[in-house]
Amino acid sequence: MLPALLTRQETHSSARRLTAIIGLLWLAALVCLPWADLDIRATEPLDELARIGWGLITPGWDDPASLVQALGQTVAFALLAVAISAPLGLLAALMFHWWPVRLLAAALRSVHEIFWALIFMQIWGLSATTGLLAILVPYTGVFTKVFAETLALQNRTPEQSLPPAWRLIRWLYTRIPQALPPLLQYTRYRFECALRSSAILGFIGLPTLGFHLETAFKQGQYSEAAMLLWAFVALIASIRYWLRPKLIPVYLLIAIWLLPETIGFSNPGYLWQFISQDIWPAPLLAGDLSGTFDWYWKLLSGQAWQGLLQTLLLSQLALLLTLLIVLLVYPLATRRLVGPKIWWPGRLLLLLMRSTPEMVMAYVFLLLLGPSGLPAVLALAIHNGGLIGFLVAGKSEMEYQRQQQQPLQEPSGLLLYSYVETPRQLPALLAWLFYRWEVILRESAILGILGITTLGFYIDSAFEEIRYDRAFMLILVTALLNMLVDGVSRWLRRLAEPQAVSAGRG
Amino acid sequence: MALFSLQQQSLGYAGRIVLRDISLTIRAGEKIALVGPSGAGKSTLLHHLHQLQPDQIALCPQADGLVELLSAYHNIFMGGLDRVSPLAAMWNLIRPLAQARQQVAQVARQLGIEAQLWQSVDRLSGGQRQRVALGRALYRQQAIFLGDEPVSALDPLQGKLLLESVLSQHQTAVVCMHNPELTLALFDRVIAVANGGILFDRPASELSQHDFDALYQGGSMTDEHASNQPTADQGLPTSCISPAQPGFNQSNREQ
Amino acid sequence: MRASKFTRPFERCDHNHPCEEPPEMKLFQRLVASAALLAAAAVAQAETFVFTAIPDQDESRLNERFGKVADYLSEQLDVEVKYIPVKSYAAAITAFRNNQVQLAWFGGLSGVQARRLVPDSEALAQGVEDEQFKSYIIANRKVALTINEDLASYADVMKGKTFTFGSKGSTSGRLMPEYFLREAFNKAPDELFDRVGFSGDHSRTVTQVESGAWDFGAVNFSVWDDMVAQGQVNTDKVQVIWTSPTYPDYQWTIRGDVDGKFGNGFKDKVRSALLNMKDKDLLKSFPREGFIPATNADYAPIETTAKAIGLLD
Repeated sequence: MLPALLTRQETHSSARRLTAIIGLLWLAALVCLPWADLDIRATEPLDELARIGWGLITPGWDDPASLVQALGQTVAFALLAVAISAPLGLLAALMFHWWPVRLLAAALRSVHEIFWALIFMQIWGLSATTGLLAILVPYTGVFTKVFAETLALQNRTPEQSLPPAWRLIRWLYTRIPQALPPLLQYTRYRFECALRSSAILGFIGLPTLGFHLETAFKQGQYSEAAMLLWAFVALIASIRYWLRPKLIPVYLLIAIWLLPETIGFSNPGYLWQFISQDIWPAPLLAGDLSGTFDWYWKLLSGQAWQGLLQTLLLSQLALLLTLLIVLLVYPLATRRLVGPKIWWPGRLLLLLMRSTPEMVMAYVFLLLLGPSGLPAVLALAIHNGGLIGFLVAGKSEMEYQRQQQQPLQEPSGLLLYSYVETPRQLPALLAWLFYRWEVILRESAILGILGITTLGFYIDSAFEEIRYDRAFMLILVTALLNMLVDGVSRWLRRLAEPQAVSAGRG
Repeated sequence: MALFSLQQQSLGYAGRIVLRDISLTIRAGEKIALVGPSGAGKSTLLHHLHQLQPDQIALCPQADGLVELLSAYHNIFMGGLDRVSPLAAMWNLIRPLAQARQQVAQVARQLGIEAQLWQSVDRLSGGQRQRVALGRALYRQQAIFLGDEPVSALDPLQGKLLLESVLSQHQTAVVCMHNPELTLALFDRVIAVANGGILFDRPASELSQHDFDALYQGGSMTDEHASNQPTADQGLPTSCISPAQPGFNQSNREQ
Repeated sequence: MRASKFTRPFERCDHNHPCEEPPEMKLFQRLVASAALLAAAAVAQAETFVFTAIPDQDESRLNERFGKVADYLSEQLDVEVKYIPVKSYAAAITAFRNNQVQLAWFGGLSGVQARRLVPDSEALAQGVEDEQFKSYIIANRKVALTINEDLASYADVMKGKTFTFGSKGSTSGRLMPEYFLREAFNKAPDELFDRVGFSGDHSRTVTQVESGAWDFGAVNFSVWDDMVAQGQVNTDKVQVIWTSPTYPDYQWTIRGDVDGKFGNGFKDKVRSALLNMKDKDLLKSFPREGFIPATNADYAPIETTAKAIGLLD
């Protein structure tokens, strides 16, 4: 039969494509390898590691009220930010066919939450507004893109029999309810991400978990740091038990009430000053054209170029390592592959991998391996490997449950892993990997503490030096790089996508 | 008056030509059945007609035209979306509008699904789903009806009654049909599509069961469901469950 | 086509237990309804005198410790006084510029940066120790065993090694050490060392040089002395190899417009409240022996140095 022949051919070509894509990843990483800065230096980390290890098994916190408050505010920021950004993203997704919307969404999500927070802090200081905006602005960009892509996947037949009406109304009746399960699922997943973002914002001063975590870690109070880390892991692990759809409106009200009080709200004039003055170099404001050109040239050829290079090198290596880690760890949380006994510890491992802030991991690796790009690459790869491994395992698990009703003859053990499960999950795995590419790039930017001069290192320096003109320009460069990577990853995702799917009628 | 007029046109989808150089005129008041083996291009022709004046046509696509999570009420109601304001349409999702409730209930009664009006359509049987789809087309309240095997999942007697009622409520109708008896009983003109063109286009009164037997010879009737199942719409099942993965198999569908 | 059931996140009904509306639908309706409920959070606008202190040494229980300082100031000044904690030098400067705080305990460099941004703001008081502040260069004993007063004499030892500053905006952990390094070697730090990093703060510099993650580091002398006194440093592994000349550092800086907002003479009241702070428990937070008067001019050398190494334009 023709269909069977077609399928066989297409499977063949899909396999070749996937191999080619993975080959590309290897090639990119190999090209980067000689340039990347991955020295290992002999260190004597035992004392410090022993202190960290001891802290991990003796978590303690002497002021439970402040811990609960920090947890509450971490959830509050995340919940409110998602509650606002998801509907906004959905609305924007309706206009995704319009290129300015696509560009805006790309621009919003290309800047890391931390940098958004640093920007908003210039205008609203350390306030609830700053924290909320720092999460919801980039998240709106992400929701817009993902929702738009989900909606585009929906069956279009229902719309055909509809009378002319606004797109919003038509989609409210057709595509949105059609896509509701994946939309909600994605929103829940994003909420977990928002919890992480919210916690991380504490690193720059918002009163979330990260605030105390950073302090405890800096001070070497590892028992306290461990308490915070465990509390955070427990919070994420238990989402499904406490995030009840019915309770969400109640939670939202509590969240508004929980938001930290803003002291001495700043005057709106700062917004204008920021936009009209702070972010532009002095020669430009003075109307000195050649001076402006010099200023930009110096920045672009110096910090921007150097940062761009280091950021790319680092994220390419992290990307490949992430892939390898995913292949290594996803089976641990896949019941079909490891059975029920390893399944729980496996899931815990993935939870720890994706919930431990990269900064903390990078710090431990810094102690072990000395300063270089290596701790950053490892931290990024472990975090993202854990996250994608979790997604892949979840997908495999869902398929497993469905298949148990119709048992299939399948090989077992390593054969099952290498011949059935991995090839089956590979397209989705790669798709997720390319989604995370953007994220890895953004995150590699914030690991400047290791003395690696990524774009983020320079952006952070510019903020520390109160040079918003530089920060703005460097963020712009980062955003452009992100958009470029987004474009390439879109293209690669399409290549990775199974071709056996034929077009619908009409 | 000619509603639709095709002159030497070639039709197809996904870059593939299905019907070549066909000519066809449809006048107001005609009740036309489209017949032919599966994959011959009936649906292609129907959708082409629909695209010629989509706003004046009540279209009843195959069963996948329903929105699973919405109730039968909402699925029928959306046929009349243009008769309420956008705000009312939004509110209707939360709390059904009183007037629309009455009107839709009446349509449902006529179709025999009043009891299922508030069930989401994924809980309904194949037959009930077809009635909901018909309900939406009726609620469009247009003069032209285009249907793609709208009663294939109903038993012949019920199918006949329903189709009769639908035809009587529209001035003009073009319906893809499979059942020769129903076709001969209810339509006054039959267009047969096969082998990339129009095989015959004759008044129903001139046709007999024999003509249908000849038409379907070679084409296998039993394949109908397998080949018409639009698998692409669902894509890989996995594409719906993956949080970070939408867009995964979208390129095929983007136009 | 039927929706794929397995994709349901909140599956509770099935064919055996059908429910009238799928749970998603109810949630969908609820989401639509509750979107309307979401209003922006109300923002308190209080006429409160707010201060902050840059994160420096012991960051734990900041609210508790500086809360006491707030109470003391409130008593002395007869207005409501609040403290807000910040995580970075830049955040403290921003809060000061945006009038979110009116008074701040700044480092030498951050104070200069803040006063450049807020016209008429002035340095009020500094710690007794701040008149003659200094930095240490510390080294892991693996790389440097001998101690020498001449920084330039370390040229060979430092070659190919790694070095960490503290925070990027720190005076004692970055600005002055970088200045002295440049002065001694006539080279930028990243030309002098194989790698230069920013550990984030003083205590992390100490820990990381001790563990050997970095070979050398620059640290605030008072933080080091404190850590050694409390036994938090293994001096068999890390030692001070050089002590810098002295320079002015931390100071209290106040906005120029406080008199307009809180009444004439308010600035002077704040100054005397600070100078009269004698309670050891309060002073421990900074940690200083006491406060003495300071002026903007005291910090001119810091500004010059910052300009010299390109941290200020």
